[in-house]
Amino acid sequence: MVHALREVHRVLAPGGILIDARPDSRVAAYAERRKRRGFQRFGVVNTSRRELPNDRASDRAIARAVHEGLFKRRRRGRFWHSVPFGSLAELRQYLWEHLRFVRRARWVVDEATRMRYANEPFVIRRAVRYEILERATR
Amino acid sequence: MSIDAAGPVGDVGRHVPAFSSALRPRPIDELAEWGGPALVRGKRVLDLGCGDGRFALGVASFAASVEGLDPDEEVIAAAKKAARKAGARNVRFGVGAAQRLPHADGAFDVVLLSWTL
Repeated sequence: MVHALREVHRVLAPGGILIDARPDSRVAAYAERRKRRGFQRFGVVNTSRRELPNDRASDRAIARAVHEGLFKRRRRGRFWHSVPFGSLAELRQYLWEHLRFVRRARWVVDEATRMRYANEPFVIRRAVRYEILERATR
Repeated sequence: MSIDAAGPVGDVGRHVPAFSSALRPRPIDELAEWGGPALVRGKRVLDLGCGDGRFALGVASFAASVEGLDPDEEVIAAAKKAARKAGARNVRFGVGAAQRLPHADGAFDVVLLSWTL
């Protein structure tokens, strides 16, 4: 990853910027029922243990590139992104088949509530982090 | 702030750890979070790990030029097809890896690693 960042530094013009954006595995995602106004939290969805080392390696690569004087940190932030599902079954299927998250949500509502609203729209709301870095002249 | 994906997910992105375009925010929404179109307006943009060209095509109307690079030949073929369909003349796509970029020094003003690193 650091090799790639060195290449990015090379192809950027002086003062150019690098935008690094990716899911924020340091923050849990949420399974939520979409209500007419707002959302009702149904469960917490953690990042798969397999994905965490990759995320940490990305963090380290950026930190190293900054330490090497390739880039200067300009600004960072986080926003929330919702992935929509037609029903609770669709959401569960998604978790079962995708690698990013653990396969099962940790529910914070009881089973009766899940069954009552099972056919309503749901979302997985997850955090996306970004950082804007400026090419440094070294 | 919270933003939505374009539509229900269905089967798209199945078994893909690095995320299919359909699971991601719309480019214009993502750009707004980072600082808005001014970030790329009139600039030479490189989208590394561009996938099917979702972001590259999404910001093409603001940028001077956009180049998308991805190691996956299939997605680059899809990106080229999407560019032709969109009539985007300032966008180019190519197969390649970030570790060895086929570009001259200082060729870009903005490099994007969106859900890539």
